[in-house]
Amino acid sequence: MLKVENLQKNFGNIMAVDGISFEVRKGEVFGLLGPNGAGKSTTISVLSTLLPPSDGVVLFEGKNIFEEPKAIQSKLGVVPQDIALYPTLSGYENLSFWGNLYGLTGRELKKRIEEVCEIIGLSERIKDRVDKYSGGMKRRLNIGAALLHMPELLIMDEPTVGIDPQSRNHILDTVLELNRQGMTIIYTSHYMEEVEYLCSRICIMDQGKIIAAGSKDELVEMISGKTEIALLLESMDQEIVKTVGSIKGIDSMVHQENQILIRCENADMILADIIASITASGNHLRSVDVKKPNLEAVFLHLTGKALRD
Amino acid sequence: MLSIIKLRVLRLREDYWIYLIMMIMAFGLTVIFGVSFDDYKPTVLIVDENKSSYSKNLTSELGRNEAFEFVESSWEDAVEQVREGKVLAAVLIEEGFETSVKAGDSVPLGMMRLKEDTLLLTLKQLLTTSASKMTGGVRIAEITADYIVANHPTADRDTVRDTAYHSVIEGWEYKNPISVASAIINTNAGSDYDSLKHSMIGFSLFFSMYTMVFGIGTILYDKQYRTWQRMMITPVSKASILGGSMIVTYFAGALQLGILVLAGKYLLDIDWGSSMAGILLVVAAFIFSTTAMGLLLSGLVKTQAQLSSITPVLLTSTSMLGGCMWPLDIVNNKILLFLAQLTPQKWAMQGMENIASKGMGFEAAVIPTLVLVAMGLIFSVAGVKLVKQV
Repeated sequence: MLKVENLQKNFGNIMAVDGISFEVRKGEVFGLLGPNGAGKSTTISVLSTLLPPSDGVVLFEGKNIFEEPKAIQSKLGVVPQDIALYPTLSGYENLSFWGNLYGLTGRELKKRIEEVCEIIGLSERIKDRVDKYSGGMKRRLNIGAALLHMPELLIMDEPTVGIDPQSRNHILDTVLELNRQGMTIIYTSHYMEEVEYLCSRICIMDQGKIIAAGSKDELVEMISGKTEIALLLESMDQEIVKTVGSIKGIDSMVHQENQILIRCENADMILADIIASITASGNHLRSVDVKKPNLEAVFLHLTGKALRD
Repeated sequence: MLSIIKLRVLRLREDYWIYLIMMIMAFGLTVIFGVSFDDYKPTVLIVDENKSSYSKNLTSELGRNEAFEFVESSWEDAVEQVREGKVLAAVLIEEGFETSVKAGDSVPLGMMRLKEDTLLLTLKQLLTTSASKMTGGVRIAEITADYIVANHPTADRDTVRDTAYHSVIEGWEYKNPISVASAIINTNAGSDYDSLKHSMIGFSLFFSMYTMVFGIGTILYDKQYRTWQRMMITPVSKASILGGSMIVTYFAGALQLGILVLAGKYLLDIDWGSSMAGILLVVAAFIFSTTAMGLLLSGLVKTQAQLSSITPVLLTSTSMLGGCMWPLDIVNNKILLFLAQLTPQKWAMQGMENIASKGMGFEAAVIPTLVLVAMGLIFSVAGVKLVKQV
């Protein structure tokens, strides 16, 4: 459906997107995962025709979107990261306006607004002014404005930033429901759990580049299904890092502040040795967390830093 | 474009009070400046300590002047009123006035005032002229009386002198030694400068510009709330979005100026001249150029706060240059007059005043309209280029 080839976008000397290529298949939820500043939003801005690329090609159903922007604009719905609504208008007036821009009028528009209100769960408050809404309600309306014209491709840029867990769950369920109805979705986030929960295929971005791509299982396989042990210590010193690092069976180890992250084949075999060595050194262990392999671990493995850095 | 027009009209309901305030300001200041300046005459007290026929003549002579209101007063009242700033000044005709006039000496006139003022310079000039006229008349009367008494010894000298003096003064009244012929060439002018009309036109243009510039500046509000970027990725083109925004701003400006023109006509009894079509044509072109200027400004700045900062400076300075505050006829500086040509206000003032105040017809609207449309087109093209997609 959407094919991105060697896409570059630079702002002066800053290379925000550095030659990325990927493909989004019809009917899937495609995830773009990466920390803040990874280049996700810039990529989305280029895909939605808001920004021209510095180089590269983006094909939507075989057509170059920069040569024929109309080919994608009418079939594309974008949920921007920032709330892009008129706060002094009502929810209904906002939806009506955005629907108008996509050519919806009269009964058709009214019907679609009602349907969208059902999807985003705002039917009862839709006549209220947007500045009277809670943060979660604004986020849901922000999504609703992108759904009115029933887009074939929906791009969601960090749609759950700064909202309560209840609204977040509602949004994630809405995304899955839309996908079940046949909508193709590109979902960007720096929340690993959301991407894991929603996406069938994932691109991990860092510093403008795609550092890994594939299904969740394929990405986890990259770190050979290794288990991660997170140790939180009372204090950190080089001696303890050296002692723990010398234990046999540890594949890799990184440390940040008072935390040590260890990857290994079998946590059960070495956990006792690790705890014993820390205790023997006189240090105090505040917590031990053994995690199955996930995208966070993949990112850590590939970049040496945590996703939320 | 219709959806944009609908949106802008919806959002006007938040800003209707700005339009209302700007109209009240324009109308209120027109009343204050236009009506007050027309009737304003500073009061000058005359303290006559001489009480002679000469001092009375001087008082009477001064009273003919229409620039000041002369009122006779006692010394004590004059001191008090000048001190309290209730009058511009007090003129003191001292006791030796008659004697000095008869002797041909410089006449003793005093003046009490609190501060120097351009009006006081005019008053001093008036006193000097009047006193000189009187001294000259007295000298002529004295010489005439001497001559007649020398040839007719039975004649009463005082009577002859008084008769001669009054003849001299009447001579000034009815037979001015210098006459100025004047004619207005090829304008069909019925009247000249009209303070009330000038204020009405100037303030209406000035205040309506604010609402027009801020009206089109709503695209900066869109940028602030990220709705601009969202609009840019819809199938609606940037030209349609800007076009729709300009249309609503245009009609809001037209409504505002239309109400002010009608308010002037029916509440202040302003005669807008023989060509209402000409007035409306200039107004229409002015609104276009101002809306386009607003678009250009919105392209030059990044936020509404920046627009709010530069707009008052720009509009006030160009309105002063363009003659909204005072007539350009009193400006002599060539640089200022050249700069005035570059402001839309100058051309709108010229077109409207030529019709409303100088009695010209529709033809007076043509050149200003063409200039305003040309300015509007230049501003529009530059504005569309400068308003970025993101």
